[in-house]
Amino acid sequence: MSPATEIAQAELAAIVGAARVVADPAACAAFAVDGQAPQCVVYPTAPGEVAAVLRYASARDLAVIPCRNATKLGVGNAPRRYDVALSLKDLNRVWHYEPADLTITVEPGMKLGDFQHFVARDGLWLPLDPPGGARATLGGIVATNAAGPLRLLFGAPRDIVLGMKIATVEGKVVKTGGRVVKNVAGYDVGKLLIGSYGTLGVIVEISLKLFPLPAERATVVIAAGTLGVARDLRQSILQSPLSPARMVLLDSRAAQQATASVAERTSMGPEIWLEVAGSARLIERCRRELGELTGPAGTNAQGVDAASAEKVWARATDLHAWAAEEAPSAVMLKATLPDSTLEEFVSRAEQEAEAERAEIAAFAQLGVGIVHLCILSELRVPTLLGLIQRLRAAAEALGGVLIVERCPPAIKKQIDVWGGAGDSLELMKKVKAVWDPKGILSPGRYVGRL
Amino acid sequence: MKPSPLVRELFRILGPEAVLWRPEDVMLYEYDALSCLKQPEAVVFPTTTAEVVAVVKLAAREKLPVVPRGAGTGLSGGSVVSEGGIVLGFARMKKILEIDLENLRARVQPGVVNMDLTLAVSDHGLYFAPDPSSQKACTIGGNVAENAGGPHTLAYGVTTNHVLGAEVVLPDGEVVRTGGKFWDRPGYDLTGFLVGSEGTLGIVTEVTVRLTRKAEAVKTLLAIYDRILDAPRTVAAITARRITPAALEMMDGFTLRAVEDAFHAGFPMDSAAVLLLEVEGVREEVEEHADEIEAVCRENGAREVRRAKSPEERDLLWRSRKNAFGALGRISPNYYVQDGVIPRTRLPEMLEFIEQVSSKYALRIGNIFHAGDGNLHPLLMFDARDPSQVERVKKAAADIMAKCVEMGGSITGEHGVGIEKRDLMPLIFSPDDLELMRKLKAVFNPSGTLNPGKVLPAGKVCGELRIEASLGGIL
Repeated sequence: MSPATEIAQAELAAIVGAARVVADPAACAAFAVDGQAPQCVVYPTAPGEVAAVLRYASARDLAVIPCRNATKLGVGNAPRRYDVALSLKDLNRVWHYEPADLTITVEPGMKLGDFQHFVARDGLWLPLDPPGGARATLGGIVATNAAGPLRLLFGAPRDIVLGMKIATVEGKVVKTGGRVVKNVAGYDVGKLLIGSYGTLGVIVEISLKLFPLPAERATVVIAAGTLGVARDLRQSILQSPLSPARMVLLDSRAAQQATASVAERTSMGPEIWLEVAGSARLIERCRRELGELTGPAGTNAQGVDAASAEKVWARATDLHAWAAEEAPSAVMLKATLPDSTLEEFVSRAEQEAEAERAEIAAFAQLGVGIVHLCILSELRVPTLLGLIQRLRAAAEALGGVLIVERCPPAIKKQIDVWGGAGDSLELMKKVKAVWDPKGILSPGRYVGRL
Repeated sequence: MKPSPLVRELFRILGPEAVLWRPEDVMLYEYDALSCLKQPEAVVFPTTTAEVVAVVKLAAREKLPVVPRGAGTGLSGGSVVSEGGIVLGFARMKKILEIDLENLRARVQPGVVNMDLTLAVSDHGLYFAPDPSSQKACTIGGNVAENAGGPHTLAYGVTTNHVLGAEVVLPDGEVVRTGGKFWDRPGYDLTGFLVGSEGTLGIVTEVTVRLTRKAEAVKTLLAIYDRILDAPRTVAAITARRITPAALEMMDGFTLRAVEDAFHAGFPMDSAAVLLLEVEGVREEVEEHADEIEAVCRENGAREVRRAKSPEERDLLWRSRKNAFGALGRISPNYYVQDGVIPRTRLPEMLEFIEQVSSKYALRIGNIFHAGDGNLHPLLMFDARDPSQVERVKKAAADIMAKCVEMGGSITGEHGVGIEKRDLMPLIFSPDDLELMRKLKAVFNPSGTLNPGKVLPAGKVCGELRIEASLGGIL
């Protein structure tokens, strides 16, 4: 260890306490990003400490990546440099909880699963089913604007966050928004932070809207058979008054995977899984009318028992965990597209994969315009690169974009995982410079290698 | 009177028929729905982004302020000039450029009237969800600038939840596109940052919005109370029961008598308060929720709960509510409307406080609340010709504002900061918070020529803030 590193660790220890600066190589390796491990992991316990750590890092020009338990750390370009992992796992308190007002203020290190458990006693929930599932933290969810298929009915973190406190590299804690459900006082600074992937400041407190837990939920699976039928069904379901809470299209491989050892697959081909939430009467009506919609398409809608459905939804939302389990080298892509083109994109992706004899699985969030593609086969780098580029071109041709969320470091060297940033990149650079003029926060990882 | 060199140059850019410059013409643009300030030097009506760019470049060269203006229905002084300059009126940029039914998107010019977009897609069972009371006149550009709300934002969210992309002209004339037609474009959410920036960051020349599918069923209820505090107690009880109505509005007896005189909607003249409630959604749920809400109203002291029997009855109730400010204009020479927000469970306490303020300053105060989300619109009645009344209004307004902040609320829920509340910003933001906002503003508007004097406090505020003094500029 270099003397400079030792001094840095001693000084960080002076801020957070010696036990909260960990330099053990094995511990640091767990926070590695694209093969780079930090020199130390710091575990602050209060917003003021986070700000002090950032100010110190800025003064010393140390690169910091904020995280909790690294569920989404793989998303982004390879860091230009990386000295300190800032773990927010011990910022996990609840500050203001007003169940009657349907609002709550919490710290970012709290896990979604613990959070849901905490508010469920009052019949409430946060209607988000992001990648990472119950293990994802609120800070990570907000910093990445992570949403899953439930976005169809409830929106994304962008729509649910009421206010935040943010630690800056200047060592300050600034506030944006508030704790009430309607507020237009001042610039909506929070919007810049939501989805900024830890490149502007570190979120240390979040105020959120809460929602009543639905009385009942029911999952229905429709064996669409072909993408064409799936497309017709998507249109008729979304135009009907049924308003499902979430709805996904799983291609044949994804369906096989998501339902393995859970549900009996009666047919091959793509399936639509959808969940309705509400009263027993509503659910009864949905079942009936889905039957009427699917009948003419030569297919049917089948109910799924709650326990099995929960397993399938967990797999169909926590894709990164599933992909990692399935194939250590699995590549994850996320395309955001016009909803009307989802099936066409999946079809194009299947053709492209077929041409390379690659196995892929597609999970499309219907009504939300997002397709997650998983390339399961291990391909040579040039082949993989070519495939990714063709898939990106296909998404762009349909008016969308394609983000590479998980891939080998060799690929990251050759492409910007975010794709093009459009003509507002200059403004984004200036916004970044206001928050982080020295570029110490997650340097190089965001759009345009900000 | 001859046109000035500036005006002649504007003639060259836009044609003389798109430029107002005579004092009797520009005089009409010195006010919005709140305040009356200074006259602009010229008001121009561009029809294209290129014309906006040309005007903005001219203003930059001449170091003149540029103030974008939709329909001028704003309630915080956002679209009036604070120090002269050119008003960019969007009345002629009112084309709906694209409607994408399958993807539920529309691309519009900023001058499109809110209601006109809804009417354009209505036959397809769609609408644009933000519904400010001024929706028959106000423009989508203005909605974007102010992050406008409305009664139904309780269930559907405010403007920012419905805007995905924008084309923006920056003060140096550069045109930038932010966001897009679909979610999650990589990069900072500049669109989200622009919404609600009150025309101080850039001039929006095109907006991409989300359209919403009309609910299958809707039920509108009117709950009538003999005791005023029973109404806000009902609101708290409904929220606590986990029912989310599409809209939950409250009017006190004083206000509803004025409204009834104007519109004859059948509001009971002898009641102390009413709640206007609406539930929307799937037929089965709407019935259940309406029954449940009716029960909660009765448990909390409603003497009667009526249901609108026809779409016409529903429209009349809503028309009365949305035009309530106008109705009050019939009985008082002036009124000052506030826009504070508090946690909704504290509505009863707040209403009692407003009553105390009313008697303390001997002012009539009408109460119209977006009660479901804790957004208050107390209307302070006065006669501007009487200086003592003006003084009392300022003091009363200051007391109510301070109470909102003390309850953990906000100084504005949907009307914006504008000129009206810019010096109140330190009530809820620290110097560090405001400094950051200033720096971020400078990224977009470094010269400060876009809509100057809005949103951020004029200078450093030292010592104790005097709320009533800061309201002095607009009353």
